[in-house]
Amino acid sequence: MSTIVAPATTVGRSAVGIIRLSGPDSLSIARGLIGADFEPQHRSVVFRALRDPKSNELLDRALVTYFRAPNSFTGEDVVEISCHGSPIVIRQIIDFTIYLGADFAEPGEFTLRALANGKMNLSQAEAIRDLVEARSKSAAQQAVRQLSGELSSALAPLKERLLESIVVLESALEFEEDDLPPVQIDDVRARLELVRSGVEKLAATFSAGHLLSSGLKVAIVGRPNVGKSSIFNALVGLDRAIVTELPGTTRDCIAEQISVGEIPISLTDTAGLRAAYDPIETLGIERTRAAMADADIVILVLDGSCELTSEDEETLRSVSNSTRAVVINKADLPSYRNPMVGRAGRIQQGIKVSALTGEGLDEVRTAILAPFEVTTSDGAGLLVTNARHHELLSRATSLVRSSVALLGIESEEIVLVGLHDALRLLGEITGETTAEDILSKIFGTFCIGK
Amino acid sequence: MDELFEVVVIGGGHAGCEAASASARLGARTAMITINLDLIGQMSCNPAIGGIAKGHLVREIDALGGIMGRVIDRTGIQFRLLNRSRGPAVQSPRAQADRSLYRKEMRATLEATPNLHLRQGMVVDIITKGSTVIGVEMQDGRRIGARAIVVATGTFLNGLIHTGRRQYSAGRAGEPASQELAAALRRLGFKVGRLKTGTPPRIDGRTIDWDRFEPQPPDESPVPFSFSTDRLEQKQLNCYIGYTTERVHDTILANLSESPLYSGKIRGVGPRYCPSIEDKVVKFRDKNRHQLFLEPEGHATNEVYLNGFSTSLPAELQRELVQMIPGLAEARIIRPGYAIEYDFVDPRELRPDLQTQAIKGLFHAGQINGTTGYEEAACQGLLAGINAALSVSGRAAFRLERSESYIGVLATDLISHGVDEPYRMFTSRSEHRLALRHDNADERLRPLGRELGLVGDSDWERFHSRRSRICRVKGALQRQIRRSDKEYAAIAGHLGVSDLGDSITLEGVSKRPGAPRSLIEALLPEQIKSEVTAADVDSALADALYSGYLKAQAVNRGRLERHDSLRVPIDLAFGSLSGLSHEMVERLERARPRTFGEAKRIPGLTAAALSTLLVSISAAAGAKAGG
Repeated sequence: MSTIVAPATTVGRSAVGIIRLSGPDSLSIARGLIGADFEPQHRSVVFRALRDPKSNELLDRALVTYFRAPNSFTGEDVVEISCHGSPIVIRQIIDFTIYLGADFAEPGEFTLRALANGKMNLSQAEAIRDLVEARSKSAAQQAVRQLSGELSSALAPLKERLLESIVVLESALEFEEDDLPPVQIDDVRARLELVRSGVEKLAATFSAGHLLSSGLKVAIVGRPNVGKSSIFNALVGLDRAIVTELPGTTRDCIAEQISVGEIPISLTDTAGLRAAYDPIETLGIERTRAAMADADIVILVLDGSCELTSEDEETLRSVSNSTRAVVINKADLPSYRNPMVGRAGRIQQGIKVSALTGEGLDEVRTAILAPFEVTTSDGAGLLVTNARHHELLSRATSLVRSSVALLGIESEEIVLVGLHDALRLLGEITGETTAEDILSKIFGTFCIGK
Repeated sequence: MDELFEVVVIGGGHAGCEAASASARLGARTAMITINLDLIGQMSCNPAIGGIAKGHLVREIDALGGIMGRVIDRTGIQFRLLNRSRGPAVQSPRAQADRSLYRKEMRATLEATPNLHLRQGMVVDIITKGSTVIGVEMQDGRRIGARAIVVATGTFLNGLIHTGRRQYSAGRAGEPASQELAAALRRLGFKVGRLKTGTPPRIDGRTIDWDRFEPQPPDESPVPFSFSTDRLEQKQLNCYIGYTTERVHDTILANLSESPLYSGKIRGVGPRYCPSIEDKVVKFRDKNRHQLFLEPEGHATNEVYLNGFSTSLPAELQRELVQMIPGLAEARIIRPGYAIEYDFVDPRELRPDLQTQAIKGLFHAGQINGTTGYEEAACQGLLAGINAALSVSGRAAFRLERSESYIGVLATDLISHGVDEPYRMFTSRSEHRLALRHDNADERLRPLGRELGLVGDSDWERFHSRRSRICRVKGALQRQIRRSDKEYAAIAGHLGVSDLGDSITLEGVSKRPGAPRSLIEALLPEQIKSEVTAADVDSALADALYSGYLKAQAVNRGRLERHDSLRVPIDLAFGSLSGLSHEMVERLERARPRTFGEAKRIPGLTAAALSTLLVSISAAAGAKAGG
């Protein structure tokens, strides 16, 4: 088994950089930098000078932390060096560890070793990735919960119940000659229904969960000079976009990350849609169309202080099939009217907004989230944030559902196909080997055998 | 050497008989050596062949060209198809045998086999030159030369019988154990473990009050095991069902210290599904009665087998207990029940052709590999016998896949996972349960048997006729019955519904709940009706029933199993893969999976280890493809 090394912090200038070594030679490699008499205690942190093993030149003074196997992240001997965050220093230290025998780690290799040494299961390993990439507080919370095995615990009773149902059906089929109590189909059906609804509920938390981790893409569109950039700035809370009185000011799409409730939103301000007069504007308009196509929801802004123009109609038509919120801006002007937007699509009430005064902006924020059924929760309740898990849970749900439909109609071996597959899928979520010992359960439950 | 053969089979039990017969018919000069020629084909405990999943094995043996199916068809005295109320994939034939007729018939079959030579005697050593077998040594001094040897010694290796506090060396009651051969196998370096099994007392049928028991009659239209059987020969009889009582249970519990199982005197793990009555009473204390079967052992004998009462309690106590059973108050025991422990060799030491990895030309089949059951033994004997003959003629080894037969499931389970307890076949062991039916064993395996040379011309013709009849029925099932057709109303009436849609195929009718075979048969064209048998129609209907589910299963599995056929390079050093713990490396090295699918089935292999393996073999595959 090799000893691997990698920076544990991102490359860039910062105060501290952490380098992690994992493997049987971690300590001896560290000694190569620190000195042969380096004898750290498990979980100790000491301040040491790190020197070039060849020239003895001082590289840095660093905090060195030692974790003795198996009580470390990877389950192997781990040495963490917290040195000054200069990229050059970090690079030098890593180079010397390689000189002393370490291998540069592959992406995810530390986590792989932790998995291999049973320090965590697959679901938890994914949670680490999610945690590192979490872009909002709730997503981080979710990742932490998954890391602590909450998904596995939520699934455990469902798997158990599914297994029990399988046992009952398998026993009936395999041990016809034995004096087993007859299968109570209704009991089995009820038990499986509980499994289905439990798994379905878990799967359903994905849309909220997914949003937590991936966020929403929102594009603000409308004809030139209706106030898109003003609204954008108001939502972002900074004067990010350039606002002037001249139509066609925004030549490009500007995107900014904001947070509405706990959901990360990527908000895009676009070039006003109209027949453009110059090539830059044309380019901008193309980008607008792209942003619209890409968006999860489009905010269509109309100027409430004047009549709907043909360009407005055009834009309305182009978003008629999208998920959208209609904003009627400039409520601060005396000529403001809030028309019912009726043509070119469904009738919809616009939101009365003034970017200038801030009126209606909260309603806009609510409207952004409304189509996604997200209750911006306080993070209570397990959310499935991972598309892989969602897919497995959804497939398991439909397998259980279709198997239940066959109960009492088809013979057990047909019903069992879907149930076995569902059990396997649930097992894949936490990465447990799916060699469920069904026979063990059967013999534990029933007295069988001539 | 006193005599020279190409293949020597040690043991005349179910594995030995199949091995000897197959090897000889494949053209190898074969000797079957057994301790007692009069006990060839002896059933050690239950005088019955088949059962759920076991019946599947017997039909597969027959399809390949083995002999068990024919022998039981000629000697069976109560045939029943199990799981009749369930789908055809889990239906399985079973038959009580006339125990002594079965032996006679088996011996006669072997004696009529060209190239096969029977020898009586006890083998005490395997003679090797380097790591290749060259012969066996007998107790009486004879040395018999062989280029391939099949060890099919059943429960005889260091067999030790326990009844109450008494124990004595035996391979079966009244037969000596094989101790020197057991020592020889240990000397050759094999990993030897200990298993146990048990058997119930046999009762004098004249002392049974039969009226107190519930009869279990044979099937009216029995399904034979062999695809070559036209008619069943023997007169059929009933078995009978009875129950223990709480008094029996209490007495057993009060005397547990007399049971070698519970006094700790028996080493070795027993099969969970053949528990002794002591086991049953201890584990399931709240059951107030346990089921028993009275199985007559033949028309010409008084012996009755008391199925469900396997025990190693002292013989005197057995009599007391038996007489507490309602209907057995006057019963006399002819042979007491006993437990037996015996050596087995870890089947992970075998290749897929059942040849040992350590010694060339040495094959292990049957109970020695840790299985339990006559059928499980027989199919291994068939596989080993075939391969022993193939090996001496320089032909490639024969193996069966999990996807094509239960025999394949058994063989791959044994060599990949080994055994913690005696291995018995269950339908749930196969992930292809819907496709492996007893009635399509011929479709799956006859061609393979023919290619090997074990299926003769007349059987081959029968096979083709049957398959083409089934095809004709399947074609006829596509007939549309429209609302305007006169049969429509009658069908709807039969099924108890008013509407079947504008039109429905016969196949569609057959899939309706409660549609009887007779209804479909009546609707077949006259010409087909007169040519096909009920069995043909059943097979056609079964194919139709499962085809949709099999397709859906394939799609579902396809995604889960898309990597399954990725090959694991033969020379892949598992220890060189980063991130694999010693334990994972060991498991991989021991199982030596050829594909990723096989690796997935190794017990104890973590998902992380599988991912690591997948990454490296995908990379290798990609590199090869990409150049």
